[in-house]
Amino acid sequence: MALCAKKRPPEEERRARANDREYNEKFQYASNCIKTSKYNILTFLPVNLFEQFQEVANTYFLFLLILQLIPQISSLSWFTTIVPLVLVLTITAVKDATDDYFRHKSDNQVNNRQSQVLINGILQQEQWMNVCVGDIIKLENNQFVAADLLLLSSSEPHGLCYIETAELDGETNMKVRQAIPVTSELGDISKLAKFDGEVICEPPNNKLDKFSGTLYWKENKFPLSNQNMLLRGCVLRNTEWCFGLVIFAGPDTKLMQNSGRTKFKRTSIDRLMNTLVLWIFGFLVCMGVILAIGNAIWEHEVGTRFQVYLPWDEAVDSAFFSGFLSFWSYIIILNTVVPISLYVSVEVIRLGHSYFINWDKKMFCMKKRTPAEARTTTLNEELGQVEYIFSDKTGTLTQNIMVFNKCSINGHSYGDVFDVLGHKAELGERPEPVDFSFNPLADKKFLFWDPSLLEAVKMGDPHTHEFFRLLSLCHTVMSEEKNEGELYYKAQSPDEGALVTAARNFGFVFRSRTPKTITVHEMGTAITYQLLAILDFNNIRKRMSVIVRNPEGKIRLYCKGADTILLDRLHHSTQELLNTTTDHLNEYAGEGLRTLVLAYKDLDEEYYEEWAERRLQASLAQDSREDRLASIYEEVESNMMLLGATAIEDKLQQGVPETIALLTLANIKIWVLTGDKQETAVNIGYSCKMLTDDMTEVFIVTGHTVLEVREELRKAREKMMDSSRTVGNGFTYQEKLSSSKLTSVLEAVAGEYALVINGHSLAHALEADMELEFLETACACKAVICCRVTPLQKAQVVELVKKYKKAVTLAIGDGANDVSMIKTAHIGVGISGQEGIQAVLASDYSFSQFKFLQRLLLVHGRWSYLRMCKFLCYFFYKNFAFTMVHFWFGFFCGFSAQTVYDQYFITLYNIVYTSLPVLAMGVFDQDVPEQRSMEYPKLYEPGQLNLLFNKREFFICIAQGIYTSVLMFFIPYGVFAEATRDDGTQLADYQSFAVTVATSLVIVVSVQIGLDTGYWTAINHFFIWGSLAVYFAILFAMHSNGLFDMFPNQFRFVGNAQNTLAQPTVWLTIVLTTVVCIMPVVAFRFLRLHLKPDLSDTVRYTQLVRKKQKAQHRCMRRVGRTGSRRSGYAFSHQEGFGELIMSGKNMRLSSLALSSFTTRSSSSWIESLRRKKSDSASSPSGAADKPLKG
Amino acid sequence: MECHLCRLPDNTALKQQKLPTHRLHFSAKKILFIFFATGIFCLCMGIILLLSAKSTQEIEINYTKICANCAKVRENAFNFDKECTCSIPFSLTKKMKGNVYMYYKLYGFYQNLYRYVRSRSNRQLVGKDVKAVNSCAPFKMFHNETPIVPCGAIANSIFNDTIILSYNVNSSLQIPVPMLKTGLTWWTDAYVKFQNPKADNLANAFEGTTKPPYWQKPIYELDKEDPGNNGFLNDDFIVWMRTAAFPTFKKLYRHLNRTQHFTAGLPAGNYSFNITYNFPVTRFYGKKSVVLCTTTWSGGSSLYIGLAYTVTGAITWLAAFSMMAIHMGLKNKKMPIIHQSNEALKEKAENRNGQ
Repeated sequence: MALCAKKRPPEEERRARANDREYNEKFQYASNCIKTSKYNILTFLPVNLFEQFQEVANTYFLFLLILQLIPQISSLSWFTTIVPLVLVLTITAVKDATDDYFRHKSDNQVNNRQSQVLINGILQQEQWMNVCVGDIIKLENNQFVAADLLLLSSSEPHGLCYIETAELDGETNMKVRQAIPVTSELGDISKLAKFDGEVICEPPNNKLDKFSGTLYWKENKFPLSNQNMLLRGCVLRNTEWCFGLVIFAGPDTKLMQNSGRTKFKRTSIDRLMNTLVLWIFGFLVCMGVILAIGNAIWEHEVGTRFQVYLPWDEAVDSAFFSGFLSFWSYIIILNTVVPISLYVSVEVIRLGHSYFINWDKKMFCMKKRTPAEARTTTLNEELGQVEYIFSDKTGTLTQNIMVFNKCSINGHSYGDVFDVLGHKAELGERPEPVDFSFNPLADKKFLFWDPSLLEAVKMGDPHTHEFFRLLSLCHTVMSEEKNEGELYYKAQSPDEGALVTAARNFGFVFRSRTPKTITVHEMGTAITYQLLAILDFNNIRKRMSVIVRNPEGKIRLYCKGADTILLDRLHHSTQELLNTTTDHLNEYAGEGLRTLVLAYKDLDEEYYEEWAERRLQASLAQDSREDRLASIYEEVESNMMLLGATAIEDKLQQGVPETIALLTLANIKIWVLTGDKQETAVNIGYSCKMLTDDMTEVFIVTGHTVLEVREELRKAREKMMDSSRTVGNGFTYQEKLSSSKLTSVLEAVAGEYALVINGHSLAHALEADMELEFLETACACKAVICCRVTPLQKAQVVELVKKYKKAVTLAIGDGANDVSMIKTAHIGVGISGQEGIQAVLASDYSFSQFKFLQRLLLVHGRWSYLRMCKFLCYFFYKNFAFTMVHFWFGFFCGFSAQTVYDQYFITLYNIVYTSLPVLAMGVFDQDVPEQRSMEYPKLYEPGQLNLLFNKREFFICIAQGIYTSVLMFFIPYGVFAEATRDDGTQLADYQSFAVTVATSLVIVVSVQIGLDTGYWTAINHFFIWGSLAVYFAILFAMHSNGLFDMFPNQFRFVGNAQNTLAQPTVWLTIVLTTVVCIMPVVAFRFLRLHLKPDLSDTVRYTQLVRKKQKAQHRCMRRVGRTGSRRSGYAFSHQEGFGELIMSGKNMRLSSLALSSFTTRSSSSWIESLRRKKSDSASSPSGAADKPLKG
Repeated sequence: MECHLCRLPDNTALKQQKLPTHRLHFSAKKILFIFFATGIFCLCMGIILLLSAKSTQEIEINYTKICANCAKVRENAFNFDKECTCSIPFSLTKKMKGNVYMYYKLYGFYQNLYRYVRSRSNRQLVGKDVKAVNSCAPFKMFHNETPIVPCGAIANSIFNDTIILSYNVNSSLQIPVPMLKTGLTWWTDAYVKFQNPKADNLANAFEGTTKPPYWQKPIYELDKEDPGNNGFLNDDFIVWMRTAAFPTFKKLYRHLNRTQHFTAGLPAGNYSFNITYNFPVTRFYGKKSVVLCTTTWSGGSSLYIGLAYTVTGAITWLAAFSMMAIHMGLKNKKMPIIHQSNEALKEKAENRNGQ
């Protein structure tokens, strides 16, 4: 693979000439090759070692190693430090190497994608990485855009092409891009090969919605804007092919510029651990100082006189200097309080947990064949501490599939599924779907379950026919018929597509349209309607209408829109029908469906003529055109006749409501951040049970100015305050409100609230002076929905919560627009199996269904946290118990840095004798079985409150460790000081003492791990018994005659084990030590279990009792749900498409039967489209617009 | 893509975290049982140990002060070859039954200092290379040319008093108590760790070396009568070389040869220690004494371990009783069985209906 971009000086401007690689090479622009890997074979060792020694711990151990090489200081042999250090470095290096290998692989995969590049006048297949700036490449339908391209021409008329930008900004509706007119004619390869225009534009940046540049071609200048650009990561849709000129490649593309450098995430336990390690260092220095002072005093008082037998070292000239040296010696000896194996063990445990996530069958998605994947192995225990979840909507909560689910026609509701006996069928027991085979034009993928609707259509029920006629006429969908009968609909929003498809299957097939006509196949016969007007949708109107003239010449207005709006505009004669339909609407809304109301109105010829005239006048008006048009539309859309209502299901991902309910029970707050519209978002909020009708109030913040937003937030807070005051005992909160301590007040809010805020308001709310206010308000609410937010805002919201709440945040999303949020949050989860992989690449965990989140958090996360905490507690305990013995011994050995244990024992204690049992516990332990953690979501709370490992727990462990070390030293000391062996020989020799203490230590810590292990698998047994066995095996081997014969100076303990361990006194000492060390722990646990049991204890106990009592059958009560009517007009497209249709601009010339339709300037639609767009995006790009006119 | 389930994780117990297992569950009954059992064990052990420790006899005579004049002589370095003896009479009111061991006990002598402990050469002591003195600083060479044998601070500071126990059969007849000076060491020490260099004559084997500065005679003259107790194999030397763990320690010096009057041990009567005073302890404010004692199966006469067991047993029982009281007190209250589960289930059921 070619090496990717080197560092270049920052560009001032970018110049790219088409079809001129030589010219472009001068600038050395980055190639289209993407590199996320860190090493190659040659650089691996030095770079990796350099990185590893940047870790404080590793440097510290290197420093210790160097200290040990100074003979005056050295109190241990060099290998006690180097063996663990090398082990740790190797393990880390292997892990880094594997990680990087996979990065190489994924880079290669992306870089080797194929694309068609125009080279020397011929289209050639090239790998993505070989595409250069200035190349012209051809894209085909549904292909990913390989680099940032300037659109030159496309298969569609006027150089239009459609793209889906979900990968980039998460908006799922299609967007239109257009080539500038001069290049749009470059349709064939020969013309393109001769194209030699030069683009001069801005340097690479990360602004997705802006681009400014100029095309110089044939001595003319053409301004370029974002409207002409296709960005990497987009997908070409509904466009057969297009050609583009590469402007930015590889790392310079807006996508890559946006992805930024991956921040290294640390867990809170990591941070705590680092603090604790620093404290321990401090403690170590203190101990060193105490012992050094002791040494100086001892040398001064005793050592000077003892010089007859042991003169001072040549280098030592005073007691003070001796103390100084002994300080360093003790630092070396006592360094095992911060064992190097801590870090590597933590890594190993996390790796194990990651594998468990990868291996989990219950997180494997059968449909998409994707397993869950832990992409980072360093964050697992944080999964057990999550307090806030930030979720994307489209693709995460919903499948982004709209399904025509139910409808109400003339007071009759269709779409309920009944089983054979006539009961409402539950999910999963559905009968066969309705057979649409009578209709050759039917969409095979459309499924409907209620046969009565089709019967009604077949019976010729006029209402039903009118209903579907409306659906087939009143829309802005474009159709395409490649072969006879093969219809493709290009809908701007999936819900509109769903409606038209439904009509199609029920025999009202929308076939084709021209600017002035719509052709519909009604029950087999083609009928062409004359399209008189489209009264398009916008956010205020929340409805759209078409006015058509049928072949008989009658003019009729068809309207569909939000119920809240439309029901007020109906003719009073329909009151009875209205009531039934309203009931149906309530029912649909209660099921979380998006509803639309359909109505029609007959217009007589004269009225229409007069109205059309006034409309024309209004549309030509210079000032307040919008308002005048709106009122004219309003006028005609009144007194309509109700036809019925549709209910569309925005299909949720499987199990979303359950998951959200469960996570809410686990005290996790869920915020939905979506780029979608408010209505859509709120609807989804209801259907996935984030918002419920039991909620006291749902606050909606839609202010456009700072003041409005502030006011709305204030009102929301006041309301919450008021209610809690009435609920509370009359205590006035008003005074507190004025003070800055909002938190304390709002945390006690009674009642359930939800907050919905849109992008405009959010922008204000996130400003520095309001962010706290916003956060407090939002956090007092049970659910928060932010709609119409930009990717940046998503990240800002997450950052805000992270900053002030000190809580663990998790962001979950599927699109590139979620990348920033995923990277910002403590934990990022990507939904995999979708088309895009940007989110997955940026994420720490990925799986294909939102519902797996509950398992990830409540099972894996909880266990990981629990295991890690138990591991850390035990680890600190065992090392303090091990090391502090030296401290006590210091007082009996003249502070001479004599160790208690044999140096081999010191070397092996952490890496052999005690490492595996605790690792096994850290990897396998479970407190309650997995089903229980789902059943009792409250079990998740200790993690959020950080109860299992915090500074207090740490001190308890340390105290236990020190207690153990005291007994470990003083019990054998007391015994040995006076006793002799049974054969009269001395018992209290140094080596026997060392063996006795070491043996009792190993036994005590093994018993302790046995107590800590709650879940004894065969592996735990093997490791715990194995460790003990290995200890004795190594002990006897080290003390054997054979080794001594070979290396008499190294193995000084010859014969010690068999002689010492044959003594009953020694065993009595060991037993006593063990009893005294362990019994208080058992007693303490007993008391805690009885006096202050935590939830997991209770759950275990409950299970035990249940098992005994034989679980009684519990009947689950069915709870009826009350519905509420919610406006469901939720087209996710922007207005203006109607105008596009009427202008005929987006239609193929061949299909333009009537060519005399153009009543207005042909480019005006684009202009107005632009203007509206730029208004909403508040980014005027007028300069770029002008030249397009000419 | 051909294989439908190739990415499906294996359904093994390990990977699905469903390994067969048993969970440790300590019910109150079990814990109380363990506590009571441990308490009983400790109490019994303690009483047995205390009784056996009581059955031993020990007599310790501190001769630092009694032989003060000798100590003075020793403090002057010029008197290093002057012999100074000192006799300490004492009487045994009860006879000492069985094996009687004689120890010397040093107070405040730090045999566990880091540099002291390392200052020896096992290579030399095992007889492989008498000139291997590298690890013996600060007593490696004499005047930087002749290697010292045995080298190092430990060997140099060997306890060199001679203690002879005499028994006054009657007021005029004093006989020395027969004592064995071998058999004081571990088998591994005498046969593995210490070996004389191979040579016909021991003196020749140590040629080219010199004795440690504080020694009065070279290594090969430690016991001229018994070649098995000479050189590195000398038991007194081996005993000294096994360094003590704490600054106060006693080391076995002799044990009773049970012959003649002494087949049953030391009879009651008058005795005296005749000590040739060589080892200076006053210089480092240390003390030395001579100890006579008998042993049982659990070793010497230490009450410590017996007491420790008794106390532990007592406390364990105390704890067990108070825990039982707490348990009884709480029994009526019963451990709460959580009902929150019902809520969760209800919620689940609700969701299912809602879908």
